[in-house]
Amino acid sequence: MTDSKGALAGVHILDLTDERGIYGAKLLADLGADVVRPEPLDGDPLRKRGPHQAGTPEGTTSLWHAFFASNRRFFAVDPSSDEGSEQLRRLVERADIVLACDRSFGVDAADLNAAQTRRPELIVVDTTSFGRDGPWSEYLAPDLVAGALGGFCATTGDVDTPPLKGFGELNFMVSGAYIAIAALGALYHVRQTKVGQRVEVSVHECIASCLEQVFMCYWYDDLLPTTIPGLPRRGSLHWSNGYAVMQAQGGAIMVTPTPDLETQLLWLVQEDAHEDLLDEKYADPENLVETVQRVMEVLRKWVSTREVEELFFEAQSRHSPYGWVLPIEKVAENPQLKARDWWVSYSMGGVETTGPGAPYRFSETPWSLGPYGGPGADGESILADIGWEGAP
Amino acid sequence: MTRPLEGIRILDFTHVLAGPFATRVLGDMGADVIKVNSVDRAIGANDPGHPYYLMWNRNKRALALDMSKQESRPVCRQLCEKADVVIDNFSVGVLERWGIGYDAVRVANPEVIYVQMSGMGEGGPWSDFVTYAPTIHALSGLTHLTGVPGREDIGIGFSYNDHQAGLHGAVAILAALEARQRTGRGQRVDLSQFEVGVNFAGPALLDYFANARAARPMGNKLPYDEVAPHGCYPCAGALSDAVEDERWVAIACMTDCQWEALKVLMARPEWAMDSVFDTASSRVENLQRLDQGVAEWTVTQDSTEVMEKCQKAGVPAGIVQNAIDLVERDPQLKRSGFLHAIDSPHPTVGATYADRLPIRFQATPCDVYARSREIGEDNTAILQDWLEMSADEIQKAEESGILT
Repeated sequence: MTDSKGALAGVHILDLTDERGIYGAKLLADLGADVVRPEPLDGDPLRKRGPHQAGTPEGTTSLWHAFFASNRRFFAVDPSSDEGSEQLRRLVERADIVLACDRSFGVDAADLNAAQTRRPELIVVDTTSFGRDGPWSEYLAPDLVAGALGGFCATTGDVDTPPLKGFGELNFMVSGAYIAIAALGALYHVRQTKVGQRVEVSVHECIASCLEQVFMCYWYDDLLPTTIPGLPRRGSLHWSNGYAVMQAQGGAIMVTPTPDLETQLLWLVQEDAHEDLLDEKYADPENLVETVQRVMEVLRKWVSTREVEELFFEAQSRHSPYGWVLPIEKVAENPQLKARDWWVSYSMGGVETTGPGAPYRFSETPWSLGPYGGPGADGESILADIGWEGAP
Repeated sequence: MTRPLEGIRILDFTHVLAGPFATRVLGDMGADVIKVNSVDRAIGANDPGHPYYLMWNRNKRALALDMSKQESRPVCRQLCEKADVVIDNFSVGVLERWGIGYDAVRVANPEVIYVQMSGMGEGGPWSDFVTYAPTIHALSGLTHLTGVPGREDIGIGFSYNDHQAGLHGAVAILAALEARQRTGRGQRVDLSQFEVGVNFAGPALLDYFANARAARPMGNKLPYDEVAPHGCYPCAGALSDAVEDERWVAIACMTDCQWEALKVLMARPEWAMDSVFDTASSRVENLQRLDQGVAEWTVTQDSTEVMEKCQKAGVPAGIVQNAIDLVERDPQLKRSGFLHAIDSPHPTVGATYADRLPIRFQATPCDVYARSREIGEDNTAILQDWLEMSADEIQKAEESGILT
């Protein structure tokens, strides 16, 4: 927002993103940049994304949009009109950074190539699904398809389910984070040299770069004891075989004997639940694969007898990184988030709602959340900013 | 041509995945990242020969410093005083115990940026909890929400939150550098990997607080929007009955027009012409029948052919690609050279590999991919570059046993 005390105060950004990039614009806006988001005269189509605030008509208060389009100034414009295209061009003139996705609203009218010729210091982050060229460059890829082609879905799910996408927009939140990095990396370079540039981001490559074991098991399978190059989906069982969600009394819990197998073994001995794990063969590093498999079997049996909440806190008190599988309502009540005063108030058309806070905390330039506006809510101030005569 | 972050000095105490991924991205962009490790700590994922280490520690220089020795700490303090960024993902308080916490170092280096990527953040009843990505997934709701109705034991099949915590750490560092440009001062960033993870359920959490609706796992359905078909469907061509040999295609008809196009591709089967499938909301109401019908078509088809036909007709579709598909067949990744062998062989492992930074800076391309380094492989160069130590001084430090 314009009166920001955030880390990016004074940075002007034009947000021409769609679902693929909107999280990146959010990250930058929430850090204090002044981010203007143009939208069609009848409103951003993403305002139709659910969930909606109960009691409001579809398209007015989308909670999806309020989250992803936080801290924006909204500007309704018709890019097909002479007036609208000129307004977009003036917004580009004022921007330090333009975030664009191919085919997204306003990109063609903004004439970004010409703007970069006029203003060499301008940064344009240009996001595509698969890159500008190549046989898939024109492919349509909403989050599910992007996750399928990018490698997310093949790892997720179980033998008796289809491959699964993550809940919500997990793939586009990866590309969004990379877009923010691209913009800020280029901005650092501008601060040193006054030279801007075009930066291209492929959503497909972003997703593929964040798959933990997928390429590792392919490239280095001969260095790993337990994996195969095409490791398939297999529920919660980690590629190392050393982490899995297990059923306890009253709920599920992610259980692992890492990082210290001896600590876990001692605990099982104290509980008299160790079965045959003291057998010498399990102490031999040569038998690591068999040992991990047997430990997990014993743990699964033992965990099934334990009450989930008690087990979780006892594990953590022993520095074992167990994780209680919490549903969303338990996350909302989490004592750690409460103690850190993490939740913030979202102001949407005069209605206040609690919602997620910052993913990081800056000691000197605090993250903050401004009110969320309706379609074109900031037209007047934006027209004034670009010196538009005839501003209402 | 230089890379965009040339000149930035980062002292990197991170380990495992989240922290090293943050500094990998910044190293790819040209920052001088000094990875601090020691022989004593080089076990498991901290062992330079471990595949995990090879994956996340390219484009960094390696300094061996045994922080368990008091004698190491003055050298480390000097390095902190020369750094633009000091980053760690230890539990809260480790750097302070070593005498190199933010408050100690900023006196001599007020421009320094400290980023602490702990599991739970500083303060609060869970601040000492030990976490890995599967722990964070469980506690943040990601495991519960990623599955099918009635199952809370699936979750994401890889350490998504580790990567994302790393990316958010990189965002935080770059934002703090911009703030420093304006104010002349550094600052401290407290990044809780747990809070990064909870953030990903943002709309669902707003829905809970605003409407008292608690989200549940939905398989491949969109949780809030009426879109169908929207799923992964089996295809022909499996090499065996094993799960890893199955072939699937994802199809997502985001509009009625796309559904109409899909019907044409399926040769307008009788079931699909039923009026109950005419609107998105009625397709969602009759999802089981719809998905069954689509699957009866796809299961007779090759996955690549389904994808190509669908995309040609304007229907979003894509193969469910596994590692072999991505490395050996993906034409886009091949075209961009996304996956490649690193030129210089690793001294103990031999050939190592890299996936490129998925950001293409046109004026400052990031095309350098240096292999990960052995412990202390760059001791001399780092101590000369950062601390201007003479050869004699470095020799003495080595003899004292701190550079191990």
